[in-house]
Amino acid sequence: MAATKTLAHVNVPAAQTWNYLRINDISFEVPVPTTKGEVLARLPRLFDAVETGVGAEAASWIVSASGDSRYVEVKAGTHRAEPIVIDIDAATGDVRDTGVLVREGAEATVVVAAHGHADEPSTSASLLRIVAERDAVVHLVEIVALGKGAQHLEGVGIDAADGALIEVRQYALGGDKVAVGICTNLAGRSARLVHDMRYIASGSEQLDVNHLARQRGRNTRSEIVTSGILADSAKKTMRETIDLIHGAKGATGNEIETVLVTGDNIVNKTLPTILCDEDDVAGNHGASIGSVSPEQLGYLADRGISTTEAEALFARAIFDDAVIHAPEAISRAAALSRAEEVLGSEIARDVAEGLGLVTDGEDA
Amino acid sequence: MSETPERKRSEVADVDRSLYDFVMPEEGYERYDDGLTPDIVRAISAKKDEPQWMLDLRLKALDTFHEMRMADNWGPDTSGLDMDHISTYVSPKTKQARNWDEVPEDIKTTFERLGIPEAERESLAGVGAQYDSEIVYHNMREEVAEQGVIYSTIEDALHDPKWEPVVHQYFGTLIPMRDHKFAALHYAVWSGGSFVYVPEGVSLSYPLQSYFRLNASGAGQFEHTLIIVEPGADLHFIEGCSAPKYYEANLHAGAVELFVKDHAHLRYSTIENWSKNMFNLNTKRATVGADAKMEWVSGSFGSHVSYLYPTTILAGARSSCEFTGITFAGATQDLDTGCKVILNGADTTASVDTKSISKDGGVNTFRSSVVIGRKADRARATVSCSSLMLDDISRSDTIPAMDVRNATASVGHEATIGRISDDTILYLMSRGCSEAEARTMVVNGFANPVSKELPLEYAVEMNNLIKLEMEGAIG
Repeated sequence: MAATKTLAHVNVPAAQTWNYLRINDISFEVPVPTTKGEVLARLPRLFDAVETGVGAEAASWIVSASGDSRYVEVKAGTHRAEPIVIDIDAATGDVRDTGVLVREGAEATVVVAAHGHADEPSTSASLLRIVAERDAVVHLVEIVALGKGAQHLEGVGIDAADGALIEVRQYALGGDKVAVGICTNLAGRSARLVHDMRYIASGSEQLDVNHLARQRGRNTRSEIVTSGILADSAKKTMRETIDLIHGAKGATGNEIETVLVTGDNIVNKTLPTILCDEDDVAGNHGASIGSVSPEQLGYLADRGISTTEAEALFARAIFDDAVIHAPEAISRAAALSRAEEVLGSEIARDVAEGLGLVTDGEDA
Repeated sequence: MSETPERKRSEVADVDRSLYDFVMPEEGYERYDDGLTPDIVRAISAKKDEPQWMLDLRLKALDTFHEMRMADNWGPDTSGLDMDHISTYVSPKTKQARNWDEVPEDIKTTFERLGIPEAERESLAGVGAQYDSEIVYHNMREEVAEQGVIYSTIEDALHDPKWEPVVHQYFGTLIPMRDHKFAALHYAVWSGGSFVYVPEGVSLSYPLQSYFRLNASGAGQFEHTLIIVEPGADLHFIEGCSAPKYYEANLHAGAVELFVKDHAHLRYSTIENWSKNMFNLNTKRATVGADAKMEWVSGSFGSHVSYLYPTTILAGARSSCEFTGITFAGATQDLDTGCKVILNGADTTASVDTKSISKDGGVNTFRSSVVIGRKADRARATVSCSSLMLDDISRSDTIPAMDVRNATASVGHEATIGRISDDTILYLMSRGCSEAEARTMVVNGFANPVSKELPLEYAVEMNNLIKLEMEGAIG
């Protein structure tokens, strides 16, 4: 059996609270990196300063375990039509370290797709650091659609200069134990973050999320919207932090989370934090955690939809959304494959057909 | 995109705190050596002529205090607190009185300036007044005593054969000594505080009040409040505290244990106005029975550093809790306040509504936790926290945690942080208010949901405190 090490503090939020709540971090048992004596391609030092959501300990392990790094630069003023795809297969325990530099005024789409099963427990990981220069536009789509036996670590760090726009669509659709951490540093004036996350966790899956928006620049904006479903005995921890740093005059940050609980043995932990070191700012947070109300279920029952069917509809909506927003084949296939596991092949096919992805006689 | 122009600011003047900030001489007082030793703990216990179990508890707590560490990953800095320079027991040379005329003149003057005797005459069912480590005055209206209500010091209850077993049964059970380092310290050196017992079905028309004054410099106050509200009973208890300002650290590490039985109701109101050299590491906890209700009203204005999170355990079905709080952090203050609610019973409800105001470099942290247990079917909780930043050198953080383990429960949370809009100030100034008056008016309005929950005279005190803090506060 391969040697392992413990990452004791993954996804640590910017401000911590009572330790007995066990909400300040998550620990991971990961393989000890085995690459020795090779000359590895390292990312330019520019990326060393980019803070990622998973934390320094996990980021350091991912860099060591990845064996190699990939650097992509999008030239100033260009619009790169072809997405930059980071393909992670749990079956082979892929670990990726990627740096993307989006030059001034350029636009690019980055896709992180983690997928697959592992017959034996496996660990996959990705570290993605993005530097968005002045007025750059970055579309990031993250799809974590892992099956049984897979644990996965995914860290993202984004630095946004003046006027940069960062759009994040994040889908956590499965995996035995998954940690995703995104830190967006809105360093420049009027830099913006629009972050939409949807998730579903069922069975005994464990999902751990750390969202951190550091707002340093004047008139920066962050909008973080998270919604998801917890079923069966799933466990989820969500840390969301808006950090309004001194000097960020005119900044606004909004975060909202909606959790639909359908399982009797779930554990749902939420730590929505606003840190404010500036007065001329506005920070807002809202959260709603609960099940479908009896009134809503009654309404649906009157129309012939049972509770189970109603909950399946909510789950399907998440997969529909993921497939719609998956911009290329690998991420789309990952979402559809996971939909088949969670919703069944008939509904998964229906999802694909509804989006015009398959025709009669074709497999989804 | 156009940028928001930077606002101009002016200096904020110091405020006059002479109402609270006056010192009486300590001549003739009994003061134990600074620091913490088993001998000091034994001396406190011997002075109180305690039963052996209490001494054993104290000594065990002292070991626990030395063994435990403060968490190093959250909370305000307490490195300025050196227990080797804190006297854990200071007592004036006087016995507990039931008549203000029997209280030494300097102490009586102190409480008169704080308005305690007047409040007792006008609107209270009973008063306990603690000066440094000991209760110097304790009295309750006869008609209240006739209903079987007990309102005494813990020490007196321990010497009463009828109540000693009750104290033994409840004391230290809700706040375990291992709760945190300063809970352990509390149990090692506790002194003073109140024991309240409200018999079944008894409802008090007027509140009881305990007031805690720490006059001594470089000292600690460690009062223990134990309140038992029997089934169907109803009590409003008010706690007030203040101290003069010194240039060395003072410490407050009290403990409040509240037992609210089935169908009972307890409202616990606090106006905390410790001086700004105080480390306020207080622990408060209530357990609530079926169909019972616990209400907290909390105003925190003083202290240099605060760790204060009243905790409610909704153990019984259909029990409920309301927490209404305001914290005002000014210069040199780092106040980490909030609350914890644990919903264990079915159909329990909790409502948390807090406000915080930061000014002159003050640091406010709202910290809370709402935990919904597996058996809390249909439990409901809402948390709302609003923070007002009055300048750009202050800080305000909100860190609310939620842990839900029941599919039928529902939790709602909302938090906002912002400033007073210039439009609002301009509107008020156009109608004849000065800028300072306008700001004070807005802050008073912001605090109104808290002050309206207090008895009138305490609401007035709170509004006066806000006014004091806001004087000269032109942003």
